Amino acid sequence: MEKICSALEPIFPCRESAINTLAELIGDSREAYPAAIHLFGHSGTGKTALTKAFFKQCQRQQHVRIAQLNAIECYTTKILLEYVLDALAPSQDEGDAVRADNMLEFVEKLRQWHDQNDGDGDSQAFLIAVDNAERLRDMDANVLPVLLRLQQLTSLNLCVVLLSQLPFEKFYNKTGLSEVISLHLPQYNKAETQRILSTDFAHTRNHYLDKFSGHHERLEICKEALTEDFYGNYLNLFLSVFYKACRDVPELRLTARKCFDIYMEPVLDGSVEATDISRLWRHIAGPLRSALTQIYMRIDKHSFEAGDGGGGSSALEDQSVRKLAQSLELPYYGKYLLIAAFLASYNSAKQDKRLFVKHHGKQRKRMQTVNAKAKTSDKMSTALGPKSFSIDRLLAIFYAILEEKVGLTCNLLSQISTLVHLKLLSFVSGEQNIMDGSARLQCTVGLEFVLYIGKVVGFNVRQYLCDFM
Amino acid sequence: MDPTISVSKGCFVYKNGATRAAKSKTTPNKSKRKRSLGNSSLLGPEITSQPFYTAYGEIWQQLHDHILQLQQESYSRTLDQLVQYLETECGSQVEDSEILPTAALLTGINQTDHLKQFEALTQRLQSRAKVCVLQSRDCSTLKGAIESMVFNLIEGQLEQDSEELEQEIEDRDHKRLRRSQCTMKQLNSWYSNNFQLEQRKRQLVIILPDFECFSSHVLQDFILILSSHCTALPFVLVLGVATAMTAVHSTLPYQVTSKIRLRVFQTQAAPTGLNEVLDKVLLSPKYAFHLSGKAFKFLTHIFLYYDFSIQGFIQSFKYCLMEHYFAGNAFSLCTGYSQALAKIKLLISDDMETIRRLPSFRPYVEQINDCKRIIAILTDDDYLKKKLPQLLRDCLLHFLNFRCALEFVTELVGDLPRCPLGKLKRELYVLSLNKKITSLPEFKECWQMLSFLSKDEFVAKLMKCVTKTEEFMQQEIAPLELGEACLAAMRPQIQEVRQLLDDVVLSTMEAHHPPPPTVESHTESRPITSRQELKAQLLQRSKQDHQPITEFARSLQRILQHIENQIVLPHLRPLQEAPPLHELFVFSDIATVRRNIIGAPRAALHTALNNPHFYMQCKCCELQESQQLMGTLPDLSVVYKLHLECGRMINLFDWLQAFRSVVRANDDGQDVDQNVDQEQIDPQIQARFTRAVAELQFLGYIKMSKRKTDHATRLTW
Repeated sequence: MEKICSALEPIFPCRESAINTLAELIGDSREAYPAAIHLFGHSGTGKTALTKAFFKQCQRQQHVRIAQLNAIECYTTKILLEYVLDALAPSQDEGDAVRADNMLEFVEKLRQWHDQNDGDGDSQAFLIAVDNAERLRDMDANVLPVLLRLQQLTSLNLCVVLLSQLPFEKFYNKTGLSEVISLHLPQYNKAETQRILSTDFAHTRNHYLDKFSGHHERLEICKEALTEDFYGNYLNLFLSVFYKACRDVPELRLTARKCFDIYMEPVLDGSVEATDISRLWRHIAGPLRSALTQIYMRIDKHSFEAGDGGGGSSALEDQSVRKLAQSLELPYYGKYLLIAAFLASYNSAKQDKRLFVKHHGKQRKRMQTVNAKAKTSDKMSTALGPKSFSIDRLLAIFYAILEEKVGLTCNLLSQISTLVHLKLLSFVSGEQNIMDGSARLQCTVGLEFVLYIGKVVGFNVRQYLCDFM
Repeated sequence: MDPTISVSKGCFVYKNGATRAAKSKTTPNKSKRKRSLGNSSLLGPEITSQPFYTAYGEIWQQLHDHILQLQQESYSRTLDQLVQYLETECGSQVEDSEILPTAALLTGINQTDHLKQFEALTQRLQSRAKVCVLQSRDCSTLKGAIESMVFNLIEGQLEQDSEELEQEIEDRDHKRLRRSQCTMKQLNSWYSNNFQLEQRKRQLVIILPDFECFSSHVLQDFILILSSHCTALPFVLVLGVATAMTAVHSTLPYQVTSKIRLRVFQTQAAPTGLNEVLDKVLLSPKYAFHLSGKAFKFLTHIFLYYDFSIQGFIQSFKYCLMEHYFAGNAFSLCTGYSQALAKIKLLISDDMETIRRLPSFRPYVEQINDCKRIIAILTDDDYLKKKLPQLLRDCLLHFLNFRCALEFVTELVGDLPRCPLGKLKRELYVLSLNKKITSLPEFKECWQMLSFLSKDEFVAKLMKCVTKTEEFMQQEIAPLELGEACLAAMRPQIQEVRQLLDDVVLSTMEAHHPPPPTVESHTESRPITSRQELKAQLLQRSKQDHQPITEFARSLQRILQHIENQIVLPHLRPLQEAPPLHELFVFSDIATVRRNIIGAPRAALHTALNNPHFYMQCKCCELQESQQLMGTLPDLSVVYKLHLECGRMINLFDWLQAFRSVVRANDDGQDVDQNVDQEQIDPQIQARFTRAVAELQFLGYIKMSKRKTDHATRLTW
């Protein structure tokens, strides 16, 4: 047990307590394991890596048989069972004969091993780790309960470790589950993050020394400048920009490596002293900030919201919409169809006549409508989200906004399905019965985007939106 | 195909040997088969042996090869980068294991075109990696996705090294895999069996050609699985993205994107690809076949306005080509000059008659003043055959000259502000073939803009024009059969432009008060063909009288006039003024093409139902006017016509009554009975009506209303 801890602690800094707890629970194969352990924490907190390394050590030092699987991969229960059996099988001589079609056979197989073990005298221990365990909830109803009580059912010295991002409360179902030991891996704080990232130092230094091994002058600079302090300073600057936005350690590590090249540049050139931190900061601040936007582009929403990007982010988004509209190449009528779809989505059908027919008659101004308008001025339909429309209405609007006359041909109709494929339009209902005209579509692009498209074809979209009348 | 022995009429399915076994045998021969286009035709020998067909086959083969070569080149630019990326990925794999290298290929919106591109990629990668193209239709669920991926990887392997490794594979896995056995475990063991011993790791390249069509859940899980296996199996993912990178970012959440390393590759945009094809192939002087301005515009219009499909464009172009040659053996003359001379001998009198009927033949005959020769040319085939070579030569030469002039003028006006005559060669081609280009207001605008240019700009521009055109003549025209003749015609004019340009360079900005006599004489010598031109000239002259012109302006005017008179007017002639028999070389029957290429299902259905005679050609259904209703029409047609008269909701009973009166109208003898069963409807008629309505519903014109009993809703407007 101590040997396991001492092997793991240098690899996983700041996780000493977790390692100790794990070692106390399943560190000794001669003692009885708990039935199940639930290990949870955010992504990038080291759940999988820690478990993997821990199991490896157990296997090496105590000959525990281990199985590690990813629940995502197990789209059928059978795959999960066979995978586990395969990994836990006593030795290679049995070959590929392990088969288990259902839970009963699975448990039966394990029991057989138990009986064999009894014969041998010394009991064998088993460890099973299930990554992304939250997926188990969506599998057959018996999978999760059986896994949690597998020790009891098979009477083997066996422990199931569930790895998940969710706390165990989210796993409860109607029939209830047996209790498990929960272990939380909290997110690293800033100091811890810096400590973890600084383990990269040796790697980076070797990388640089290798890189310039032929280049004598630079090699000297590298040797001199690349000290632990220097790297620590860099990480400090780096985290001051990034820590607010992103706490995922692997992601931070990647970005830190990428940016370090830029940081090193002036030092290698000899233009800035390695000790002159403030000048180095001035040099790196810009690239770091742009790297931050890139991390936004790659990272999904949750860290985007977590970040403090207020005014800057909206400008960025705006730019990307314009870029998208410009880079998207659509045929001419495709563009008009998209505009027509947008108009159909964001205008009510009642207004169509007023908008698209030339002689629509005079609209009476009644007190009621004026009042209604004043009341609803804050909920514009462009802000409310798209409404659905039928294909007939889409085509009617298309013909109304297009000045030239075009025939209703296959090519035109197939454009609609192309737009659906590109996810610019989407079916709301009736995808199966397009033929009888009851299918309803929705436009999924925003006002900004359509305005750009309209600008390209020379069509003023605003003019045809009720909100802007 | 052997005939079927059967008493009943019907369709019979024959297996054409497209099973797996046959396929693996035929695939190596595929390229060979493509070459011998004449043999693998659906048509019988009575057509394929005709001269027009051979001429067509030859020219299509040339064009097709040219286009393919061009596309290969344009693909290879991106593919080279991609392949290089994949190779470097192989090396750097060791470092961070769980991260899946991914290449995103921004392809543009027409996805069917790109399958070809991915095929090319697959072939390129075949030697160093296992490739699996995963279609979205196979991947509606995660299970399906994994299974088809594993199956493709393993089975594709089996199919490829068929001969030499056959024995070995037999030993390894005896039977073909079942679908349900295709799991990652299987793949793992297969990979370690086959490739573990090799020095370099074989990569497994997974290509998703249509990223947008995948459901996002499947895709996320799929990527997660691949990345978790990255350590053992060197996967590389290639995504074909039709829209933009934001699509990838919005589909994949963070925990997935953190598992991939994305590199973006941009392929050539479809319009640029088309322009390339147009400039290098369709407008190449190499080929005798040309499209008329309208037809050309029609085809590019379909491309730009509807679908952005280069493949579609090429197919429609091929259709035009077929249509052109199919008009008769006379059109077999549409080849190179010497080949055409050989083909003249093969023509029979019917073909000569076709030639005589060409619209441009008449002006040619009319301009002959000798009576005897006119009669000879109209009646004596041999005499016409003697005359033909000269006529063909004139025609071919005209097109070559046209191309040279087009090259020159495009370069001249292409980058003027606002591009009045269009930026590209194709636009100018269409304009100048359709109308007399000098009479267009855009042309005048261009000329005016040219004269406003500063001296340096103007000289540089013209120099570029001249060198470009000379280059073009040297490279494209000179190697051709009639190249010499064309060069003889064009060269002096280009030379003169050069000389005049020298004058411009030497000219100063000094003002000249007296109008120089040279300009006067020049303008007078020009033939005045229309009143408008005279007016323009007078206007110009009056301007010249008033303003003091500099020497520069004068020489600039002179050079522009030279270009207009010597290059544009004689060579960029519209099709109406082209030499006789140009119809042999130019395809202009756009109406047929439009009817056959563009499907208009609604219009076709409407015609079929409204006027069945159009398709059936029977005597009973002939209508005087389209609105007419007759009892002899098919029931469906009667019901359709009646339903056109109704509003949104149709009362079934009224409809039935109307139907009955129409159907009954032609049975005159039963007038007496009619009063009797006014209330009682003949069950036969009711049955016919019910059936017709059901058919109409099946066609999607009506729907039975649920709100109002005994009513149907119209679905068309």
